[in-house]
Amino acid sequence: MLQWLKKRWIYLVAAILLIIIPFDWFLGKYNTLLIFIGLNTMVTVGLCLLMGYTGQVSLGQAAYYGIGAYFSAILSKTYGVDPWIAMLIAAIITGTFAYSIGYLIFRLKGNYLAMATLGIGIIVWILFRQLSQFTGGPDGMSGIPYLSIGGFVFDTPFKRYYLVWFFTLAILLISQNIIRSRTGRALRAIHGSEDAAESIGINVAQFKVKIFVLSAVFASLAGSLFVHHLRFVSPQQFNFLASVKLVVMAVIGGLASIWGAIFGAATTNILSDELLLNFGELDIIVYGLILMLVMIFMPQGLFVKLKETITIWRARTAKKD
Amino acid sequence: MSEFILQTKDLSKAFGGLVALKNLDMSIEEGKITAVIGPNGAGKTTLFNLIAGVYSATSGEILFKGTRINSVPPHKRASLGIARTFQHALLFGNMTVLENIMAGQHIRSRYGILEAALCLPNAKREESLILLKATKYLNLVGLGTEKDKEALSLPLGRQKLLAIARAMATEPKILLLDEPGAGLTTLEKRALSDLIHRIIDMGITVLLVEHDMPLVMGLAEKVIVLDSGQKIAEGGASQIQRDKRVIAVYLGEEVEE
Ligand SMILES: Nc1ncnc2c1ncn2[C@@H]1O[C@H](COP(=O)(O)OP(=O)(O)OP(=O)(O)O)[C@@H](O)[C@H]1O
Ligand SMILES: [Mg+2]
Repeated sequence: MLQWLKKRWIYLVAAILLIIIPFDWFLGKYNTLLIFIGLNTMVTVGLCLLMGYTGQVSLGQAAYYGIGAYFSAILSKTYGVDPWIAMLIAAIITGTFAYSIGYLIFRLKGNYLAMATLGIGIIVWILFRQLSQFTGGPDGMSGIPYLSIGGFVFDTPFKRYYLVWFFTLAILLISQNIIRSRTGRALRAIHGSEDAAESIGINVAQFKVKIFVLSAVFASLAGSLFVHHLRFVSPQQFNFLASVKLVVMAVIGGLASIWGAIFGAATTNILSDELLLNFGELDIIVYGLILMLVMIFMPQGLFVKLKETITIWRARTAKKD
Repeated sequence: MSEFILQTKDLSKAFGGLVALKNLDMSIEEGKITAVIGPNGAGKTTLFNLIAGVYSATSGEILFKGTRINSVPPHKRASLGIARTFQHALLFGNMTVLENIMAGQHIRSRYGILEAALCLPNAKREESLILLKATKYLNLVGLGTEKDKEALSLPLGRQKLLAIARAMATEPKILLLDEPGAGLTTLEKRALSDLIHRIIDMGITVLLVEHDMPLVMGLAEKVIVLDSGQKIAEGGASQIQRDKRVIAVYLGEEVEE
C-alpha cells in the first residue's frame, strides 16, 4: 500500500485537486474558465493524435467542434430531441463527415493538406452563417436546453464542471491507451516514414482517416457539451481564429504529449480570457507570434520543456544532498 | 507448384523516357540467398520497389508463389510474406529500438483501436505476445542491450541491423535487403553475414542487393547482374566472377571513378 502510494501519489493529489477545485472556497469563481479549459483539452487531444503522433496537419479543427455544437443545438432545441441522443447523433454525423473529407484530402501532404483542411474549415464556417433557417445565421441560437440525467439537471457551472471534466479525462485516458497500443505504433510509424510503414504492412491511408475521424468525434463531443453549457451558439466561435487557437494549444502543450493538452488549453484560455481582451482583433497576431516562438525555441512544446527542466533540476538538487 | 518463391516475367519499369528496368526474367529459389548486383543506377532498387509494390510495373508480371501480385497494394504484400529493408535504414525516429521492432509485428496482430482505447483483455494478451516476439527479433540481431534507446541514436551499423529486425518481425517468407552492408565496418560486415546465414536457417529466402563483392560472393548461391536495367548475367558466384561482360561492366565503372 505504502509502496503503491509512493509511486502514485501524484495521481492521488491530481484526483483530489480535480474534485475540490470547483468549490466556492477554492477556485469556484473560475468554473466557467475551467469548463472551457476542459472542452478545449478534448479538442486539443484529438489534434495531438493527428498532428503530433501521426504527423498530419489540421488547420480547420474548429469546424468539427462547430458541427457537433450546431447539430446538438438544432436537434435538441428546434426538434426537441433528448440532448444526450442529440449529442450521439451529432458525433455520428461529424464522424461520417470527417470520414468522407478524410478519404479525399489525405492523399495530400504537407502544405497542401494544411490548405485543404483550412479551406474546409472556412467553408463549414460560412455554412453556419448562411444556413440561417437552421442555424440562426450570424446571430446564432440561444435557449438551448441543459443536459440532465434523470431528474438531475446540469444547470450550474459547478455541476457542469464535473460533467465536462468527466468527458475530458475519459478522452485523455482513451487517447493514452491508443498511443501505447498497436494502433499508436502504427500512427507513429506513419509519422516516422510512410514508405517504411507501408513496407511492414500498415495501411497508411486508412490509419490517417481513422485518426482524423476520431479527432473529429472528440471535437464534436466537446462542441455538444459546449452548447449545453453556454446554451448559446454562434458562427464566430468556430471561425479560423478558433482553429488557430486550437493549434496553439496543441503546440504549447507539446504536439506529441497527451497530458500536455491540458496545459496548452489552460495557458491559452487564461491568456485570451485575462490578458488579450484589450487586443481586440489583433489577438491573432499574438497567437501567431506565440506559435512561432514555441516552434523555434522549443519545438517539443512548452509543457514538455518544463517537464524536462524540472527533471534536470531535481536530479541536480538530489546530487547536492 | 514451382519451387520458385518469386518470379518476374518480362518485367519493365520506365520513368518517363528513362527505362530503369527492361524485360527482366528472374526466378528466385525458395530457401536460398540470391544476390542482385550491378553498377549505380542499374535498376536494383527499382526492382525491389516493384516487388514491394511501391512502384507499379510498366509491363510484365511479378509472381509470388506462382500467383500474379502486380495489383496487390504495397501494404498487403507484407501479409503475403514479402519484407524489405531500404538503402537508407528509414527507421521510425520517434520510437525506441524495441518499439520499431514491435511496429514490425503490426500485421501479425489483430486488435484494433476500440480494444486499445478500452484496454480490453485481448488487447493486453496480444500486446504481451507482440512484446515476446519482438524481443526474439531484438536478440536475433543482437540489440538486446539497446532496446530502450531512440532508434536514430544508434550508429549506422546498428540502425541497419534494426531495420532487418523490423522487417523480420513481419515474419516474412522472403526478405529483400537493399545494400545492408553499405557504410559498415569489416567487423560489422562479418556479423551481418552471420545474421543472414541465421535468417536462411530459419527457412526464409533472401534476396540481396549489395555492392561489396566479397560479401556477396561469400553469401550468395546465385548472382544476377543488372546493367542499365538489363540482366547481363546470371549464375553461381564463381561463374559470375569469370564472366567477361560482368568484368567489363565493373572495370568500366572503376575507370570512370
Ligand atoms: N522515382 C524515380 N523517378 C525517376 N527516376 C527514377 C526513380 N527511381 C529510380 N529512378 C532512376 O532509375 C534508374 C535506376 O535507379 P535505381 O535506384 O533502381 O538504381 P540502383 O541500381 O539501385 O542504384 P544504386 O546502386 O545507386 O542504388 C536511375 O537512373 C534512377 O535515376
Ligand atoms: Mg539502389
